[in-house]
Amino acid sequence: MATQIDPRGPRFGAAIINVLSIIIIFIALDPATESTGAALFGVAAVLFAIGTIWGNTRHPFGWLFKKFVRPRLSAPKELEDSRPPQFAQGVGLFVSLIGLVLFALHVPYGVAIAGGALFFASTLQAYFGYCLGCQIYLGLKRIGVIRSA
Amino acid sequence: MLRWLNLVDVPVELRVALLLGLIILAAAAGVLWRVRTGRAKAVIGGERINLAELGVVKNGAPVTALTTKVTFLQFSSDFCTFCGPTAKMLQALETTDPNVTHLEVNITERLDLANKFNILQTPTTLVLDRKGYVKSRIGGAPKAQTLVSEIGNFDI
Repeated sequence: MATQIDPRGPRFGAAIINVLSIIIIFIALDPATESTGAALFGVAAVLFAIGTIWGNTRHPFGWLFKKFVRPRLSAPKELEDSRPPQFAQGVGLFVSLIGLVLFALHVPYGVAIAGGALFFASTLQAYFGYCLGCQIYLGLKRIGVIRSA
Repeated sequence: MLRWLNLVDVPVELRVALLLGLIILAAAAGVLWRVRTGRAKAVIGGERINLAELGVVKNGAPVTALTTKVTFLQFSSDFCTFCGPTAKMLQALETTDPNVTHLEVNITERLDLANKFNILQTPTTLVLDRKGYVKSRIGGAPKAQTLVSEIGNFDI
């Protein structure tokens, strides 16, 4: 049995990523600041890598949540399996790396488009509690996007 | 580098408009998902479930026969936010209603079953009659009202 975590932790982290993705899209649409947008994607990739490897509770946003947000909230109604949000971190890492690759290849608006994907997924996670990557995990596996767990 | 590959500056007004459009799109997708998830879709001429093929195990023992009027067969995976809460909800129903059984199969490593039942998301719950025929299908975490009306369909 995997560990159980407060489901609001990953949603708090997704809200920060959500704001970050808006900044990325905005500055990536200007050639003068596109590289800054790519650099922010680099930061996001490092954060997602931490979350993918060590899980949300040892992620900096997880720490922020535990230290400053959770004490102000009531006790969670129920806990959640830690594996889906950890998997979602991997999806975030994948999208961030796509953004960096598109930047490296000079694909026009590539960084902004990857930022759009990040914005879309983090919106659903943060404000609707809907982990897109988790829900369609089997669908992705079936079409061969994911090979093994 | 070809000229068309160069990034053209997008005016600030257009960037703000693009972001607003994106925000509306994502919010609409979220609302649409909330409305549509967990609803039952009737299955016409549904197949009969082969419990042995599914390898259904309940309380440590293989399930070989269905014994209640309604069975909720829940397909789950390891990376699934709503599988746990769904199982809890269906188990509670099973405890309070003698006409209901809840079965759960983890198909993370059973792509054959995911393909056979065309499962794109987890949880997906099949509603079975006493003989094991699929009567309807619920994608996502079932809404409480959906479960009540599904049980009602069986004329208990």
